[in-house]
Amino acid sequence: MNALPALLLLFAVALLAGCQSGGAGGLMISLPGPAGQALRAAAGVAPAVPGAFSDIDEPEEIELGRAVSANLGSRYPLLRDRALTRYVTLVGNVVAAESERPDVRYRFAVLDTPEVNAFAAPGGFIFVTRGALAAMRDEATLAGVLAHEVAHVALRHGIDDVKAAKRKHLAVVAVQQGLAQTRVRAFSNLIASAADVVADQVVLKGFSRADESAADRAGIAYAGRVGYDPAGLRDFLRTLGGRSAQDASMTRFFATHPPTGDRLSEVTPLVQAQAGGVRNPERFAAALRGGGQRPAR
Amino acid sequence: MTRRLFPLVALLVLAASVAGAQTSRWVERTKADVRAGRGSYFDVVDTVLKGEQVEIVRSEARWLSVRTPRAKVGWVFEAALATQPVSGGTSDFLKLAPGDASTSATAASAGAKGLYAEDYARAKGFDYSVVSWIEETQVTAAEMERFISAGRLRGAGDPR
Repeated sequence: MNALPALLLLFAVALLAGCQSGGAGGLMISLPGPAGQALRAAAGVAPAVPGAFSDIDEPEEIELGRAVSANLGSRYPLLRDRALTRYVTLVGNVVAAESERPDVRYRFAVLDTPEVNAFAAPGGFIFVTRGALAAMRDEATLAGVLAHEVAHVALRHGIDDVKAAKRKHLAVVAVQQGLAQTRVRAFSNLIASAADVVADQVVLKGFSRADESAADRAGIAYAGRVGYDPAGLRDFLRTLGGRSAQDASMTRFFATHPPTGDRLSEVTPLVQAQAGGVRNPERFAAALRGGGQRPAR
Repeated sequence: MTRRLFPLVALLVLAASVAGAQTSRWVERTKADVRAGRGSYFDVVDTVLKGEQVEIVRSEARWLSVRTPRAKVGWVFEAALATQPVSGGTSDFLKLAPGDASTSATAASAGAKGLYAEDYARAKGFDYSVVSWIEETQVTAAEMERFISAGRLRGAGDPR
């Protein structure tokens, strides 16, 4: 007798049963069709997955980040300007070295859109738009914005949604393998199910207010520790705060971030507490000119 | 005589094991890159896998200089290492999932090259060259050091 299907079925039941023994807070899932009903009946418990399989390790996170980046690239054109991208990468790497995860290989890129925004994808893929660069005056401002995005990665914001997708996918794989013995390219399917969710979160929904506040605080700390004027992020927010909500380039930023006034109220005392640092306006302007851009006046 | 020596031998064995524990660490992530310097932009000199034991050479600013089982010396971020032995193995997902992903080496290798994300992009009709272009556009450690110095900034571990 081939024991594999039985073992997989047992694994699936174990996944479902896990919530009863310490699975508090586990994700409730809905397995499809009669298979799910049969398993739920066999397990005699609510359909949830325990936390033991919930971790996302770094290779998985990077692979997911690649998929999310490809998704973002379908929404905004990439600005394929090596010199400008390398400059953004230099600034980003400096602040990332002070983050909670300095060992992540961060990748930085510029999106060719007048929209003002910046995005962080899992695995360290960071994007800033041409519109955002045009709203900045100096390198300290760019450092502040990039540090905020690095903080989303370093603090693993949004990973809970990926974990949820992973748990759900694991259970589905177990059911498919146990009952139908179909060959499933499991990791590939996880990428497919999670990348769309994460890309929507990054571009359309944004992170939670608590995550945004945490990223503001951490980003200001990173920038200050490496010697940038930590007021860079505050100055960027001030610039954006002066723009109309009707401004087409700002619509998505305002929709995916907490009210700018609230953020300014939170970050201003932090900036005042650690005054000083460099701003480097000249090389910022030179880098933007080289890329055909013009910094804000 | 033997009875009198036993406590001494036991003490020596204990001291040796404590000393060993202080200079050894075990990789607790699926894999960790060992780099030529304290930063993710330095070249990779070796890659250590979950459960492998490394010897600590020295520590500085959250990074540990280690000697790997292949006698390479480089820097690893402290959070990648545990002070107690760790069982080897790949990620739980790759280990549990049958099919193409069940062979951990194959899956890790494929993932490292972006094949799964590339499959996703192809299925969705997305242009994967976007990701390739971003990954190709990197800076060297020497460029980073020049940039930090010219910008009057501090690198990781530099005195405040």
